[in-house]
Amino acid sequence: MPPFLTRLIALSHKEVIHVIRDRQVVYLALGMPLTMVLLFGFAVTFDVQDVNLGVVDHDSSPASRRFLAAMAASDTFTIRRRLDSAAEAEQLFRRGEIKGALIIPPGFERQLARGGRARIQLLMDGADGTTTRIALGYARGVSQQQLIELIRQQGGGASVALPLEPRVRTWFNPRMRSALFVVPGLVALILAMLSVLLSALTVAREWERGSMEQLFTTPVGRSSVVLGKLLPYVGLGLVQTLLVLTAGAWLFDVPLEGSFWLLMGATVLFLVCVLGQGLLISTITRSQQVATQAGAISSMLPSLLLSGFLFPVENMPTFLQWVSAVVPARYFISCLRGIMLQGRGAAQLWPDLLGLAVLGVAVIGICTAKFRRSLD
Amino acid sequence: MARGAMMGAALLAVMRKELRQTFRDRRMAAMLVLAPVLQLTLLGYAVDLDVDRIPTAVCDLDRTPRSRALVQGLLADGTLRFELETLDPDRALADGLVHAAIVLPRGLGRDMQAGRSARVQILVDGTDSVRAQVAVDAAMSYLLQRGLELAAARLQDAAALRGAPLAIPSLEVEPRILYNPRMESPIYMIPGVAALVLLVITTVVTAMGIAREKEVGTIEQLMVTPIRPLALMLGKILPFALIGLVVAGLVLSVGTNLFGVPVRGPLTVVFAGTVLYLMSTLGTGVFISTMAANQQQAILGSFFFLLPAILLSGFMNPIESMPPWVQPITLLNPVRYYVEILRACLLKGAGFADLGFQFAALAGFGVGILGLASVRFRKRIG
Repeated sequence: MPPFLTRLIALSHKEVIHVIRDRQVVYLALGMPLTMVLLFGFAVTFDVQDVNLGVVDHDSSPASRRFLAAMAASDTFTIRRRLDSAAEAEQLFRRGEIKGALIIPPGFERQLARGGRARIQLLMDGADGTTTRIALGYARGVSQQQLIELIRQQGGGASVALPLEPRVRTWFNPRMRSALFVVPGLVALILAMLSVLLSALTVAREWERGSMEQLFTTPVGRSSVVLGKLLPYVGLGLVQTLLVLTAGAWLFDVPLEGSFWLLMGATVLFLVCVLGQGLLISTITRSQQVATQAGAISSMLPSLLLSGFLFPVENMPTFLQWVSAVVPARYFISCLRGIMLQGRGAAQLWPDLLGLAVLGVAVIGICTAKFRRSLD
Repeated sequence: MARGAMMGAALLAVMRKELRQTFRDRRMAAMLVLAPVLQLTLLGYAVDLDVDRIPTAVCDLDRTPRSRALVQGLLADGTLRFELETLDPDRALADGLVHAAIVLPRGLGRDMQAGRSARVQILVDGTDSVRAQVAVDAAMSYLLQRGLELAAARLQDAAALRGAPLAIPSLEVEPRILYNPRMESPIYMIPGVAALVLLVITTVVTAMGIAREKEVGTIEQLMVTPIRPLALMLGKILPFALIGLVVAGLVLSVGTNLFGVPVRGPLTVVFAGTVLYLMSTLGTGVFISTMAANQQQAILGSFFFLLPAILLSGFMNPIESMPPWVQPITLLNPVRYYVEILRACLLKGAGFADLGFQFAALAGFGVGILGLASVRFRKRIG
């Protein structure tokens, strides 16, 4: 065995002992991914459900009751309260008791019967734009269905076929479950946060205590010191990935359509990027406290918000799309979803893999340069 | 009296030490004050929940004026954006070139004219469930509307031929949108992001600060001074409460000036809510630090609290949409109440009277966690 490898193994061994001796860190590092899969899988659903409505029915006719019943029949709306007037709704909006109010004007049924324009007002608490949009779309759908029924009746029963018949087929996630979208992204989020923080802290601690200089005086080369410190965290990252994938498959039936080894390869590339980021932070700051803040700021929020994890990158303003180009999680999440859900291979994912590789090489290069300068 | 004065002096001394220590490292000061403002600005632009301009493939096998008009109608409102025309829409979806595809079968125009039902196929990439849903809703809504118009016209023609004119009614839902009429995401998200940013800096900084004194061993030095544990704890958290208030003010002014977040309610509500919220976040920080032996444990412990607190706060997705068994858990979450207070007060003009429950819950949590933390702190330190 070449001496370089022996030294590397010795250093990694030391680091592994360091990590394992601190039981609490091990528990947290393994417990956190599981907690997050549970939380995200169960709590973060983007399906808009049970929007609470108040109802003002000035008509109280069979037609208005039929419309309200159709609205209430969905999962989207829950009719919470009957109100006497629209003015009453606003106070309930402020208290957050209802999010919308349906107002059916007098003469609603009469208008429908004589072929006039029947209107229903939907007053929405528009603070939450997404919910509002989906609720409006759904309410329109209900009114269209009601009208179709009405026209069928007028046209003499079921003989009227609707001239356009939409057929929807959904690929990759046929039941459109949020969990399938979220779990692959979670792998990236967890690895980004924990790897940056752990590597930044462990190296900053050695700087703080002065033991970094001690390590450099040993015959071990500088690059192997750094490599030896980071290797155990690559291992930890891979274990965390497997944990999330297993939990996702077991609890939420998240598939793995593509190649497992391609997934592992992309994971290693990503780990190089984020561990390098942590190392760079610790080399610049040399204090655990500052390193934590810098690590948290540079890893958690960008990986959560600028990576396409929840909000598509295409929808961001152009300058933020440029910023997101240096967020490694962006490429990794695209790989994860491509491999796990869509069964894509390297032939289709090469731009993302290349992006990861370029970022990894860049961050390691900057680290090496900084290192040399800070010691000489 | 003399005892009280001594405690006051000790408290002031600890506070002064803490502030000096924090701001001596310029980078730390920048992290604490500037970073949140910068973050809010970036995130305000990034967090755009509106889905539109979904890249769409068109596969028009009919190639008649009718089919082309239908395609144009489907693309008209901007939710679906024309990306490419193809004969192999499955391939375009599988390669990720588009996220939706419209397939118009051969004979569509003829069927439409003859009054036969014509099938229009919509293919969507379900990976992003929200985007898929929006694409399907937009396409379905247009096709239903268009179908209704055609059916109504045909019925009217038939009735006219029979000599018995028919009036087809219309049924419309007229929306009136309050508080955020253009439904802009930043106006809704920024109060949530403010709560997040405050949470991250105050909880993590307190937990780390105390853990560092333990790790370095200076906590023993502080213990042998006549400073009592309570004064020590308060002295360590009050400076960060002040920093938190300053940051809250900065963040709020960025939100109102840059993103047009309205201030419709009394600012006293925002202030009182922020004070109570900081009690909760700082108390949690101290509580975590009493369980951590070093800074690495403190940071991991903080994240263990932060992530669930953020996800279960309703900041990204409404609590009503969570599964029924998850919803009661959010009642234990101080972040939830603060987000609700901020949104209700700023956007909807709610006052103390509307927010009684939220204030009571936040105060309860704050007093509870601070009490618990000080008991543990005294036991571990004093």
